[in-house]
Amino acid sequence: MTAYLLRRLAISLGVLAVMSVLVFLGVEALPGDACTALLGRSATATKLAQCRAANGLNASVSHRLIDWASGLLRGDLGFSIKRDKSVVDIVMPRLRNSLALATVSSLMAFPLAIVVGVWSARRKRTRVARVVDTVSLVLMTLPEFVTASVLWLLFSVWLPLLPGVTMVSSNASLLDILPNIWLPAITLALVVFAHVMRSMRASFLVTEERPFVEAARARGIAERIVVRRHILPAALPSPINVIAVTAAWLLTGTFVVEVVFNFPGLGRIAVDAISDRDTALILALTLFGLVVFIASSFVSDAVTRALDPRVRAQVAS
Amino acid sequence: MIGLHSTATRTRRRITMSAGAVIVGGHLLLALAASVLPLQSVVAQDSNAILQGASGAHWLGTDSLGRDVLSRTLHGGQPSIGVALVAVLLAAALGFGLGTFAALVGGWLDDAIMRVVDVLLAMPSLLVLMLVASFIGREPVVLVATLALMYAPPIARVVRGASGNVLTRDFILAARLRGASRRAIVVGEVLPNIAEVFITEVAMQFTWILLAFSSLSFLGLGTSPPTAEWGLMISDARGFITVSPLPLLAPVAMLASLVLGVNALVDRRAQAALS
Repeated sequence: MTAYLLRRLAISLGVLAVMSVLVFLGVEALPGDACTALLGRSATATKLAQCRAANGLNASVSHRLIDWASGLLRGDLGFSIKRDKSVVDIVMPRLRNSLALATVSSLMAFPLAIVVGVWSARRKRTRVARVVDTVSLVLMTLPEFVTASVLWLLFSVWLPLLPGVTMVSSNASLLDILPNIWLPAITLALVVFAHVMRSMRASFLVTEERPFVEAARARGIAERIVVRRHILPAALPSPINVIAVTAAWLLTGTFVVEVVFNFPGLGRIAVDAISDRDTALILALTLFGLVVFIASSFVSDAVTRALDPRVRAQVAS
Repeated sequence: MIGLHSTATRTRRRITMSAGAVIVGGHLLLALAASVLPLQSVVAQDSNAILQGASGAHWLGTDSLGRDVLSRTLHGGQPSIGVALVAVLLAAALGFGLGTFAALVGGWLDDAIMRVVDVLLAMPSLLVLMLVASFIGREPVVLVATLALMYAPPIARVVRGASGNVLTRDFILAARLRGASRRAIVVGEVLPNIAEVFITEVAMQFTWILLAFSSLSFLGLGTSPPTAEWGLMISDARGFITVSPLPLLAPVAMLASLVLGVNALVDRRAQAALS
């Protein structure tokens, strides 16, 4: 298992290194650069030349790639000319807020989704299970800004229980941000819940049909134990994969929800950075997304293997 | 398991599908009719009638610039439905072509095509769309082309899988033996056999494209104001929901009903077979 994890880690780091170079070249290939974005319509040839000289944009691509990469290794993500701030200073407080948001929605969604998924699989022919099934399908297919707007209207405007739009700055303390987390977190949790719940349910139903479950039941083992010891370990890997993918999405794909509630996280700054073509910031955020994506698939593989009784048996012997 | 459904289940499925067909049909009709119906102007502003509730003059009230919400809501489907329809047809053609080609040639070329498809599938589509809209342009042509490219891979993958299963069957061998051309095999033998899965997948991708495009507009990178588009309208209305929720609720209801309608229309069984 350790050897497997080490090998898998090495591969992940290799993929990350190759991909980050590709991302750098990709952002480089986008039309325009930081100076055209900064100067906008007021760009004249002389102004552009001055700006480029001042910010070291005249160096060759390979030169700047090496500069950027060695900066990364020192924990320097570059400098946003547009925002006149170092990228680390822009990203760090927002990363903290995004982590808080993702944690709150994960805690709301994942445990409940697993429980409800198993519950509805065991009562698959009842009316309640069918209603849960339909509601989760609806939650999955509606765009987040629709769910978010409806929740906002319900819980912030008609029933003034929770604050709607965040008015605090990205640097505010977590305690000040916390009241503003609930609505975006509930919106995200609903979407995530639906995906994980349906995966758990489907996986449970498929596993239940397999011969070893029939054998366990034929031996007269109590249903409670059949579910816990026989079906669940075999059924969990696929919802765990979904959890890994959705957890990554909670950290990197929440553009729309953050914009709806004006939440000061990574998603909103990403939309801003893309809209005003802040390439240094786009580069850092894309790289962050890549790290999360690779890390989530690593964790999901490791957990899946750890859960597999065949692998565990090897470790024990 | 598949096929062994009780009459009750079958009846329920038929009702869901008919409801879906009515909703989707109604939406298409409304989007087309919006240009013909005697509606008020989409862009005309009335500064004396801002954020009004429903009235005889404005059945769904007015938005923050005093524009008629009913007219904007009915017109608002045109950009999204139009872009999504064209993009999904292009994606379907591309996906079908790539998928059947890969299945037919097999070997390393098949592998190579499917690896490229996998890489494209792993890209976050909304992020790519935002980058394209911001750096290259937000003209419909550019967005339709990007959407078609981003959403062809899932279709290609489904088509590759389904036609791979069909190509090993005896009737394909029979067709080959009687000297049928590749095109005749694809159109005459493969297509009818994968039609159900293919159409289901294309319909599902239609809703994802619709949502991606309206999300893009919502984020301010899709349709440009003052054009009426649901995502953009929802975005504009957000700041004023304490005064009047109608400018928000009307496009929300339209977008939600269209997406749910397509989902209801598409056969659940085929949908389950895909996932």
